Formats: sequence, C-alpha cells, structure tokens
Amino acid sequence: MQKKLTVLFLLIVAAFGALSVKLYAINRDNGEEYKKQVLSQQEYDSKALPAKRGEILDCNGTKIAVSQKVYNVCIDAKTLNGKEGQFIEPTLDALYNSEIDFSYTREDLKKYIAANPTSQYRIIAKKQPYDVVSELMDKLNNRAQNPNIKGVWLENTYQRTYPYGSLACDVIGFVQGDNEGAYGLEEFYNSTLNGIPGREYGYLNDDENLERTIKPADNGKTLITSLDVNIQSIVEKHILAFNKEHENEYREGNGSKNTAVIIMKPDSGEILAMASYPVYDLNDPRNTDGLTVVVDEEEYSTQGVVNISGEDGEEKSDNEENGEEASEEGEEGTSEVDINIEESEEEADGRGSVTAPAGIRDRGSAKALDPGEPGEEETEDTQPEPSGPKTYEEAYEEAKMEALNALWKNFCINQTYEPGSTYKPFTMAAGLEEGVLTGNESFNCQGVKEVGGHQIHCNNRLGHGILDFSGALEQSCNVAFMDIGAKMGKTIFMKYNRLYNFGLKTNIDLTGEAMTNSLVFDPETMVPSDLAISSFGQGFNVTMIQMVTGFCSLINGGYYYQPHVVTKIINDDGATIKTIEPRVLKQTVSEETSARIVELCNNVVSKGTGKSARPAGYRIGGKTGTAEKYPRKRGNYVVSFMGFAPADDPQIVIYTVIDEPNVPSQASARYATILTKDILTEVLPYMHVFMTEELTEEEKAALSEAQLTFAQSSDESLSENGIVSENAVEEGQDPENTGVVNDSVIIFEEEEQKEEKEVVLDPETGYPIDPVTGAILDPETGQPMDANISDLE
Amino acid sequence: MSNRRGGHKKNNRDKAFFDYSMLFIVIFLLCFGLVTLYSVSSYEAMLDFGEPGYYFRKQAQATLFGIIMMFVVMFLDYHIWQKLAIPAYAVSVILILLVLTPLGYEVNGARRWLNVGISLQPAEVAKVGMIIFFAAHVCKMGKNIQTLKGVLRTLLLGVPISVLVLTITDNLSTAIIIFGIIFMMVFVATPNYKEYFLLGAAGVGVASIFVLLVKKGVLTSEQSYRFGRIEAWLNPEAFAGTTGFQTLQALYAIGSGEIFGKGLGQSMQKLGFVPEAQNDMVFSIICEELGLFGAGAVLLMFLLLIWRFLVVANNAVDMYGALLVVGVMAHISLQVILNVAVVTNLIPNTGITLPFISYGGSAVVFLLIEIGLVFSVARRIRLRNSGD
Repeated sequence: MQKKLTVLFLLIVAAFGALSVKLYAINRDNGEEYKKQVLSQQEYDSKALPAKRGEILDCNGTKIAVSQKVYNVCIDAKTLNGKEGQFIEPTLDALYNSEIDFSYTREDLKKYIAANPTSQYRIIAKKQPYDVVSELMDKLNNRAQNPNIKGVWLENTYQRTYPYGSLACDVIGFVQGDNEGAYGLEEFYNSTLNGIPGREYGYLNDDENLERTIKPADNGKTLITSLDVNIQSIVEKHILAFNKEHENEYREGNGSKNTAVIIMKPDSGEILAMASYPVYDLNDPRNTDGLTVVVDEEEYSTQGVVNISGEDGEEKSDNEENGEEASEEGEEGTSEVDINIEESEEEADGRGSVTAPAGIRDRGSAKALDPGEPGEEETEDTQPEPSGPKTYEEAYEEAKMEALNALWKNFCINQTYEPGSTYKPFTMAAGLEEGVLTGNESFNCQGVKEVGGHQIHCNNRLGHGILDFSGALEQSCNVAFMDIGAKMGKTIFMKYNRLYNFGLKTNIDLTGEAMTNSLVFDPETMVPSDLAISSFGQGFNVTMIQMVTGFCSLINGGYYYQPHVVTKIINDDGATIKTIEPRVLKQTVSEETSARIVELCNNVVSKGTGKSARPAGYRIGGKTGTAEKYPRKRGNYVVSFMGFAPADDPQIVIYTVIDEPNVPSQASARYATILTKDILTEVLPYMHVFMTEELTEEEKAALSEAQLTFAQSSDESLSENGIVSENAVEEGQDPENTGVVNDSVIIFEEEEQKEEKEVVLDPETGYPIDPVTGAILDPETGQPMDANISDLE
Repeated sequence: MSNRRGGHKKNNRDKAFFDYSMLFIVIFLLCFGLVTLYSVSSYEAMLDFGEPGYYFRKQAQATLFGIIMMFVVMFLDYHIWQKLAIPAYAVSVILILLVLTPLGYEVNGARRWLNVGISLQPAEVAKVGMIIFFAAHVCKMGKNIQTLKGVLRTLLLGVPISVLVLTITDNLSTAIIIFGIIFMMVFVATPNYKEYFLLGAAGVGVASIFVLLVKKGVLTSEQSYRFGRIEAWLNPEAFAGTTGFQTLQALYAIGSGEIFGKGLGQSMQKLGFVPEAQNDMVFSIICEELGLFGAGAVLLMFLLLIWRFLVVANNAVDMYGALLVVGVMAHISLQVILNVAVVTNLIPNTGITLPFISYGGSAVVFLLIEIGLVFSVARRIRLRNSGD
C-alpha cells in the first residue's frame, strides 16, 4: 500500500509538473500577445463628453438659440439578463414609473431584452430633460438601496432649442444630426458654435497601472447678432398679416409666393431684421404640416417626375426652362411690345456669343411651372431621369424633401429676380457721379421709345409728358431712364453695375448666398436694347441682399459696407473672443451724389409713386418697383419697395419684396408700400425715432386706433412668439416707447407740397390720373388700377 | 518509514503526533485564499452589491465555521466514521435527492443548492460521505479487494452516487471527482496496476471519442452545452464571443502576468473581463497579479499539503485511517489539477473550483472537515511499535 501511495503521489507530482510547464508555455508563447490583448480591451473605458453648442443672441442679449443639457436613457440587455433575469422587473419598474418618454412600450422593451441578450448598448429614451430623469438618476446613484436596478445608465447630450420657434428661421437655421448646422447662422458659424467634445479615458501609467483622466469638453462660442427680436417680430407679424389677408384670394395658397423684408443699418451694414414667408418652426424643421406636397400620379408612374406645388415648393431649376420659354413665346406672335422676343431672335441671328444675356433673363425670371403649358413636358425631359420607375412613396418622399429644402432656403439671399424700378436710383447715381447727368435735365415721355428697332413702352403708355429730373424718378418713367442709359452708354452703366457689387457676392455671414455672376450682362455682348431695359432694372438678376446693401451705400455717403449679422463672438465664460466691426469694402459714389439721391428718393415718397409707403408722422425716402417676371405676359410680378427712414438722417434701410402677390392684378407696388408703411409705423417709434410731421385728423384717428390694436396685438404676437416682456424691461427700455408714441414729443413741421403740373396726379395716392377716363393709373404699369391686363414697362 | 518512527520514538514517546507543518500550510492557504478572493472579487462585488467586501465577508464567515468544524472533527475518534459508513452513503444520496424538493434552489441556471437554514451544496457533502464510506468498505472487503472482481464491485458501488450527482444536480465535474476519489482509493488499496491502466485508458478512450465526434461536427452545442464547451476548448478563438470567452479571457490573464505579475490587486482582467473570476477562474487572476512565481508558489503549497497527506497516510495506525487520508488527498489533488487544467485550457471548461481559494462556503467548510479527518488520523500516530 505504501508503494502504491508513493506511485500515486508521484503521479500527482507529474501532473503538477505538467501544469507548471503549460503555465510557463502560455507565458512564453503568447505572453506578449495576451498582454497587448488585455491592454486593448481596456479601451472601451474611454467615453466622449459632449460639448455644449454656443448660443445665438440678438443685439439686446435675448436668446434666440440655446442648447440645453438633456439625457439619453440607455440599457445593457446583457447585464439585465444576468442572474436569472432577476434585475429585469425591478429595473423596468423603476423606468416605467417615471415620466420618461420611452421609444418602447414596456412589453416591447421586455421582448427586446429577451431577443437581444448580448446587446450592451441601446438608447431607449432620447433627449429627456433633467426634471424628468432626476428621479431615475437618484436611484442609479444610490446603488446600495436599489441593488436590483441594473443595466441602465444615463448619457449626457445637448438639445438645441429655439425659444422663439419660427422667428428669424431663415437667418438662424437649425441643427441636424450630430451637431451639424444647416442653413443660416447655424451652418455659417458651425465650427464656432460647435465646441470640442471632451473625453474621459483610462490610460496606463509607467507602472502599467490603469489611471483615469478627464479632458473636459470645450464648449462652443456664443454669437451676438445685430438682429433685434422685437423688430424681427414686428416685421414677421406684418408679413404674416399680409399673407393671411390675401390667402386663397386669386389662386389656392398663401397670400404670395414669397414675401421678404430686410431691415438694415445703412451706416454699418448690420442686419436688424431679415424675414421671408413662408416660415418653418426651427424646433421642428421637418414638419410638413404646413406644406402641400402633391405627387402627380401619372408622373411618378410614367416619367418618374414629381410635380410639387407647395407653399414655395415650385423651385424648379430655372435653367431647364430656357429654350422652351423663348420658343413658346415666339409662337405667340411678335407683338411690338414684347422686346424680349425680338431681342432673343436678334441675338440668335446676329451673334453667337449672346446666349449669356438671353440666359440671364430666362434664368432670372421664370420660376413657376404652370401646368398645362406646352413647355412643361419638355421641361420634364430635361430633368435627370431617375434610374428605374419610382414607387409612390419614393416620389412622395422626394417631393417632400424638395419642398422642405425650398422652405429652408433664405429668400433674402438665395433667390434671384429682376429688381425692376428699384434699380432706377442706381442708374441715376451712376449718371450723376460720372457727370453724364447734371441733375437739371428734363425728359419728354410719349409713352414709348424705340431702341435698336424695338418699341419699348413706358409704364404709363399714355406718356408722362415733360418731366424734370426729379420727376423722372418720382413717376418712375421708363422712357426717361432709357434716355439716361443711352446717354451714359453701356461701359459706364456696367462699370457702376459692378461697382454696386451686382454679379458678385456680398459675403454676408449667412450660408446659401446665390451666385449671380452669370446673371448680369457682359458689357462686351450687351446690345442697346439690353442697356435700355437694364437702365430701369429689367433683364438682369439680383438678390435682395445685393440690392439693399448697394442702396445703403447710395444714401450713406457712398460707403459700401459688407452686410453682416454677427457683431460679436463671446466664449462660454462671457469673454469677448472677436468683435466684428463694420467693414467698408469700397466707395460707390461721392457724398454729393449720395445726398442728391437721398433728396430724390424723398421726393418719390413725398410726391411720387411711393406716397403710400410713408408712415404717419414721419418723412421717409424710397423707391418702388414692379417687375414683370419671366416668362412675360403671365401676369406674374415681383413688387417691391426700397426705402430709408427718417428722410433727412437715414437710420434704417428697409427693403420689402413681394413675389407674386395672390391677387387678380399683381402689378401694383402698393402691396409693397403698404406693407412697408405698416412695418415702419411700429419699428420707427420702437427705435426712438421722433415724429417730425404733422398728423392729420384721419391719421391721428387711424394711429390711435392702430396704437390700441398695436398695443394689444403686439402683446399677443409677442406671447405667441414666446417673447417675454421681461426682455424689454431687462434692456432698460421704457415699455411705452416700444409701441406707443406720446403726442407731446411730436414735433410738427410744415412742409411745402409742390404739385406737378405736367401730369395730373391723384392727391391721395400720388398716382397719375388718366386725363381721358379719370381713372387712377398704376405708376409702374400705367394701367388703370382695377384692370386685369398688364403690360409691362 | 521505520526510520521515521524511530525518530519519534526518542522524542514523543507518549505524546500525540500533531502535524504542525500541515496546520501551517492549511492556515497559509486559507489566508492566502481570502486575500486573493478579496482582490479578485471586490470590483464585481461593488458593482453587484455595492459592497466591495461582500464575497470576502461571506467566505470569511464560512472559513471560521469551517475551522471550528475542523477542530471538532480533529478531536473526535475517526473510527466513529467507520461505523457510520452506510449512513454517510445514505445521507449523501438523500441530500442529493432533496435538491428535487422545494428545498432546492437554482444559482446561475443550475439547481445544485439546498436551503436548510444555511445554504448547502449536497455534492460537497457527498465527497466527504464517499471518502468515509469507501474507506470503511475497502477495509471490510479485506483481501477480497485484491481480486479484479472485488475492484469492479467496489467501483460499481460508486456509480450510483456519481450518476445521481450527474443527473439530478447536472454536475459532471463533481461526478468525475467523486468517481476519481473512489478510483484512487481503490488504486492505493490494491497492489495491481494493469487493471487501473486499462480502466484509465478506457476512460481516456471514451472521452477521446466524444472529442472526435465534436470535432467532426457530429455532436454540436445544440445537443448539449457540454459539447459546446468541447468545441470552445478545441478552438477558443473561434468562440471568443460566446462559450470560449471565459477560457480565452483567463488565458489572456495568465499570459499577461509574466514572471512576477502586475502586483497584488493590479489585475485588469478581473474588472469585468473574466466572468466568475472569484469562482473557477481565480487561478488565472493569481497568475496575472502574482505571475508565474506566485502561481508556482501556490502549486507548491498544494504539493506540500499533499506530501503531508502522504506522510500521514503512510504512518496511519490502521488501514481505515490511511484510506481516509488517501481519500482527502485524492480529492484535493484532483480538484487542484482539474481546476488548473481548465484555466490553462488543457481540458474543456467544467465548473471545478480551486480548494481553499475559490469562493464557496460549502466547499471550504467540508474541505476543512476533511482536513480535520486527516488531523484526527495524524493524532493517532504514536510509538506503538516502541516495544519491537
């Protein structure tokens, strides 16, 4: 027995020896590899700490865009399934007894945990605010008391919110995906607003001990803008009112295809307000409730092309319509008025290189697809054909995205159009500056002028008769301006066109500014008729921001400021990182010319076509515009007013553009002037601009009524927009001054009214009267105000 | 052996023999086990129970109770157990059967525990029970054990309890250990070799057939999780995410320890990578923290303990005492060898714990009772041959 025992012991020793050899072998053969493996497994310990995105404030410090800390609730199904699944029920109890809004129902989550036992990361509730998750957070922090709550944790993140909803949506833009700004300031300043995420990680020190360290997140910078939430609200309120008033008036849809307003400081290039309509909710940019997405069944099934008609969903690429439009109009016959047709033909006959100007007009004007027109099918053919037939859902999705993309674009900087008569001050200033004009000229308008073989009509087809220099602008006489254009020649005209920055970007600090370099004339290939029509603002394309920035330079002494929205960038602690000072890019005209233009524009409002733009109690200057859109003869117009206030010391410049007002006869700048007046009536008192003019009894009555309603409606609209009246108080403003003007501070001043003798004007509107019929004519179109037929220019 | 007795003759003529070396080794292993257990389990305990010392505390309580039991058994005359051989067998069987009653409960998906005021694992009782029973049985058989028939009959007696452990508690490793203990006791009690080598070869052969079938894909993890473990054993990397995870992580721990290890408490693999590190896989963390040197030292301590068993068994006053010690020796050496073999992936993963070090209250109490038996046998060693 002792012998056997010894044998057994030796066998055991042998086994121990074998095990020792194996241990040694593992270390020798795989030691290095396993060591690295162990270290690499530690990597999961590192986690990103999100950075807070910077805020966007208005000039008074009101927060327009903020980032709030929110929490994602995550689960680890593997842990939950551990220990016989005894954690599942207590954990689910803790979760579902809270107010957290889960993406799963309790039953679904249970099924998920059972079906994915190895899943270790799943977000089950996204972006929950602190007060909702605080209860769960307490339970998780107190593990000793809640030993059965397991496999759940909270993850920090930030949620972008916009307290004012849709306010200034086109300027602000929104944030999508992983903190990526889309459109507006959010995109332009994305890298400034975005901080640098921090990281919490473990690392191995010299002794290969695991140590943990935290590199904190570097929060994003805050933008202080020149926008004023109060002015922006006033502007948006009136734009909305206009569009509600004309909703479904002539055709289905909004009161206009687009209505946009820019208010800017002429002496610094700072944008005070920039708005367009329709708007969208920045907190829910993908909401399509307000959009009408129409998918034509035939099109998606046969050609795979989607026709959208939404609030502004018709933004087809204009290029596609070039050829067809011209030929289409050619078929209509050669009316002597239609200079464009004749011109196109001439260009085609004469020189091959003139395709660019022809293209300019085409691209610039036509935007609407009019169903039923012969051009439509051809247009569709030029669209890139998608591969394979689309299902209805695909077609619908595509149509929806197109409509949304159009909605998100900022009309004020993205959309190009022909400016029309608002360009006339630019022409005049160029002439004065170059000495081509003395300012004492007089013009004889017979209602039509022949240029290069074309009969180009004045807006007043009856003719304005003899007009003096100021009268030419007051009456917006096309013939007079064709004369001026011819006198200065295309070289000077185009030199100033470029000097005013047309064809170039203004480089405003917003994403999406349109390129217009191919949408202006090339002096090399410009023909006399091109010069004639461009002298009164047709034939080439501009953006609103180009127009308003150029106009600022015309009235501020000739200084062309780079337009900008952001005035200051501060860091998380409130320290200033960068101040953006007004930047003069160039001098467009001299001080003298500028002073003259101010005077001329004042005359337009006091005596001419802009009378209806004057807010009661103030003197302002400006110029109206009514531009027929391409294709011509469809009755589609862009009506506008560009003005400044107060008249003798311009503090703000306002530019109002209404694209296709939804009315039977669009060709009236009155829609723009009235809207401008409504806006200025509220904005000027808010900006502490004193009234200088005597109020008539009617005006007083209207104003006191308006003030009443203003006081009420402003409260409503402010609260609707989420503006808290504390803002005004915080900024130290007297609430009275924001809307209500005290009569005692009004300075009354008599002003001489000079009546024009050559043309009989309606004393109320300043519009010409047809001497034969006695009807009031629209100064831009020369048509009786109630007439449907519109003849441009 | 006679020399040794001669040595005692002079000094300890009438005194009881007390094996201080063995006591030291046992105390060392117990203390080392507790320190290691705390190091290995504190992270998981903090996560699971919010108390880093949770496992340590429970193990320390069990150890204290076990030491008391050890001294109680030590001062009892071990011949009591010889008379209680059949009841010991019966109690083992009954306790195993009790698992089927509502007294039994599950942990980690295996129903192996009894709740009788305290938590008790019947398989641990069965190991002691079998040592007591077979020591008595072999003594009773006398010369008959030396025939092949006697050997087979004795081994057959061990089959029912092994089958019960395997089927009722679904615990293959304990079944193997119980049968292994009986096998070793019988091996020592008989002078032959051939039969045992044949039996051993047969066992290895059967196991090889299973392994081969798994390798060929005839038997898969869908039929039994045990075949899945064989698959993972053959190629742990291929099952790194599932069945091979534990083994692979244990290998990483061993391989990253180098000669002197990362230092006590410095293991990274215990931080959630090696599952159940405080149980079966505790040896891998010892390798990681204390290196080959530490692991070798632990193995050496076990070897010394087994050597002390050998000494006591050789000097035992009677056959029964010697066989009791052989049983304990077989038990501890089998568990150490199989545990380390699993950790180093020499054999497929089974749930065998490392004596004195792995977490387990029942295990440590009954181990200490076994040590008590050995001390009890050792105390009887006297110079009875002084008159020769």
